[in-house]
Amino acid sequence: MDALAGLATGFGVILTPGNLYYCLLGSLIGTLVGVLPGVGPLAALALLMPMTFVLTPVAGMAMLASIFYGAMYGGSTTSILVNIPGEAASVVTCLDGHQLARQGRAGAALGIAALGSFFAGTLSLIALTLFAPALAAVAIRFGPPENFALMVLGLVCTLYMISGSTAKGVLMIALGFLAAAVGIDVVNGKERFTFDSIQLTAGIELLAVVIGLFGVSEILANVESQARSTLVANRIRGLWPTREDWRVSWRPILRGSGLGFLLGIVPGGGPVTASFMSYALERRIATQPERFGHGAMEGVAGPESANNAAVGGSMIPLLSLGIPGNAVTALLLGSLVIHGIQPGPLFMTQRPDLFWGVVASMYVGNVFLLLLNLPLVGIWVQLLRVPYRILFPLVLLLSVVGTYSANKNLFDLWVMLGFGIAGYLLRKLEYDLAPFVISFVLAPLLEQSLRQSLVMSPDGALILAQRPVTAGLLVVALVLAALMFRRPVRLGDN
Amino acid sequence: MKRMSLLAALGASLIAGAIALPVAAQGTDTKAVLAKLKPKDFPSQPIEFTVVYPAGGGMDVTARLLAKYVEKVSGERIVVNNRTGGAGMVGHAYLATQAKPDGYTVGIIANLVWGDAMLRAQGKWSYTDLEPVGYINSDALTWIGQTDGALKGRSLKDVLQIARDKPSTLRVAIVPGSMWEYLVEQLETASGGKFLRVPFQGGGPGITALVGGNVDIAQGFLAEYRGHLEAGKVAPIAVAAGARLVNQKDVATFNEVLGASDYVWNVIRFAVTPKGTPADRKAYLGAIMKAAMQDPELIEEYRKAGAFFDATLAGSASIATDLDKYATRERDFYQKSGRLK
Repeated sequence: MDALAGLATGFGVILTPGNLYYCLLGSLIGTLVGVLPGVGPLAALALLMPMTFVLTPVAGMAMLASIFYGAMYGGSTTSILVNIPGEAASVVTCLDGHQLARQGRAGAALGIAALGSFFAGTLSLIALTLFAPALAAVAIRFGPPENFALMVLGLVCTLYMISGSTAKGVLMIALGFLAAAVGIDVVNGKERFTFDSIQLTAGIELLAVVIGLFGVSEILANVESQARSTLVANRIRGLWPTREDWRVSWRPILRGSGLGFLLGIVPGGGPVTASFMSYALERRIATQPERFGHGAMEGVAGPESANNAAVGGSMIPLLSLGIPGNAVTALLLGSLVIHGIQPGPLFMTQRPDLFWGVVASMYVGNVFLLLLNLPLVGIWVQLLRVPYRILFPLVLLLSVVGTYSANKNLFDLWVMLGFGIAGYLLRKLEYDLAPFVISFVLAPLLEQSLRQSLVMSPDGALILAQRPVTAGLLVVALVLAALMFRRPVRLGDN
Repeated sequence: MKRMSLLAALGASLIAGAIALPVAAQGTDTKAVLAKLKPKDFPSQPIEFTVVYPAGGGMDVTARLLAKYVEKVSGERIVVNNRTGGAGMVGHAYLATQAKPDGYTVGIIANLVWGDAMLRAQGKWSYTDLEPVGYINSDALTWIGQTDGALKGRSLKDVLQIARDKPSTLRVAIVPGSMWEYLVEQLETASGGKFLRVPFQGGGPGITALVGGNVDIAQGFLAEYRGHLEAGKVAPIAVAAGARLVNQKDVATFNEVLGASDYVWNVIRFAVTPKGTPADRKAYLGAIMKAAMQDPELIEEYRKAGAFFDATLAGSASIATDLDKYATRERDFYQKSGRLK
């Protein structure tokens, strides 16, 4: 009951015109940031953070947090409409979302994405409200060996994302690892594959890779096919999800919420990991996995729910312990510090107004976002009628701006261009691009957590068997991998 | 850039519309001094504070607080810009080799720049390409342990004894290729003990690992662990500062416990301009920063964030000369430990 009383306090704090205004403003900006390819939540938060210094801490945090989860709502839009992810957590939404759009079902996909996001966001908030301190205590025990096992599981899930040739897919996963190895070695601090370039010591920027591979190469591929002058011609069927859509989506939404929430709490997780693990899960348990990649609604419902739930989850270590799990929550932490507030284990008891105010603001923000996004569906779908020659230069411009503004480093634009051309060629050769990006995201964490585990263990690799959570996750990964490689045989039998 | 500044402008106007900006009160004395120092043609546009670490981190918070008070005392417009990558390497190289020496680019950096310049710049730039114009504050690296568990209530001497008796059992969180690692190395060489050095990407994750019981000792700054300290989860073991810190009088220094003088590992934050910046502009930038640093409110904000003020540097007549002494000390360590020929 403490939690409910706290939440009541929180609503008391947040339900003032001023605070609601900033929450709404953040939701609007977040949606915009999510929709615009290239402009991610991190860049937007970094840019807008100074403006919140003049606000009260609760208004500032409510606004910044709503930009974060607002971006998760908006991120699916361009994935579905133009096959270009609005931010990294919406990469997998392209796979089935855009196919749905091509079948004239963009409205339904957008609707499911928005409603799934809302349910997942709200469910994860309810879990946060009730169990934050207990979950934080568990999350903090999650050490390098557990992280390693989680990353292995993630990598096995990547296998389920391969749509064409398994050999080609595995090759892309390997290349992702290779690209991620560029930069400073996480253990000895030495440079690897940097070829004496100062730029490469920073490693390759994820945003530039995503925008290049998915944005630039998509544009290149479309420029080639001049025959189609608009995206999906005139075959727009129905704006809203049908009863059938709901029937197939509600379970993925629930599963995505749970999975995303858990992955948000643990250090190695976050919206990106959550979205593709949800996709892999849905594809794995589907009765007709071959529908995936050809417009399966579950492939939109699951990941889009998961990335929103992960935001709620990632607020737990931040607000209960003052531990940021990813770059965005680190920024939220920084903005509190500038207000002279140092969140720690005592944050909840010392500043209940702020803790519960932020939590309450997230409930409110999710409602705002739903109300904002549903009417937008109709408008976005009309975007499909905009001719290529207008839409794509605009998308390219935004990609350049977004990629540059993240680090203000011109080199990232070259990376974006390079990966754009590489992505174009790889598409021609029918290689899957998503496994590359996912292994690129997982590889550094996988390598670091494995090497940390080995250093901290007096018994070498045995540490992976000694810790129950680690061993359990590794067994699951093994089973999933075994099932994966059994499947082609079974398909052959049919 | 257009689109983003449009977004920024939109945000700014919406926020400004809702609340009135606080009106800054200014001392007339400082104002007169600054007016005398102000060059005729400078500044005619906003001054950019370049931070080489991501927004939201300790360095970023330091720069943004400073920017706020520099604006207050001088009336100049300051823009904080993060140029990140390679753990600061990209931004440092930008400041040393690309930024225009016209006074409009000021790097808000830390002494970690010396390690980058001496060990990783491959002769492409040197730390002398960046000229210090003002000292901001410092943080000293502190060893902390859990308040319960194997190291409960142990002193530094006890810890080193364990590292000797049972080598390679105590797990210490480090950040590879930086002072987190050098301090452990120094202690191992001097005491003959051995630690398991568990690498992390920064001090914060190491502290998280300590609280979660995945390492036995973490190293960090007060701002990073204060939340856990206040909650009674962690306790300081020793601090790598020249003298006990004013905000942590009861924490012993490594030097006093070990009877040595070279266990000093600080983050020193200061402002630099690219070499070749006109002297009058540098003098003015130095003066407005010094004026901001004398504002009791800013001092209090930094103190709340856990920073301390190195007396030699805060009262320094020539910040460049005094910082150079610290840089030379660091170079000696690199040479002694075989990192630098």
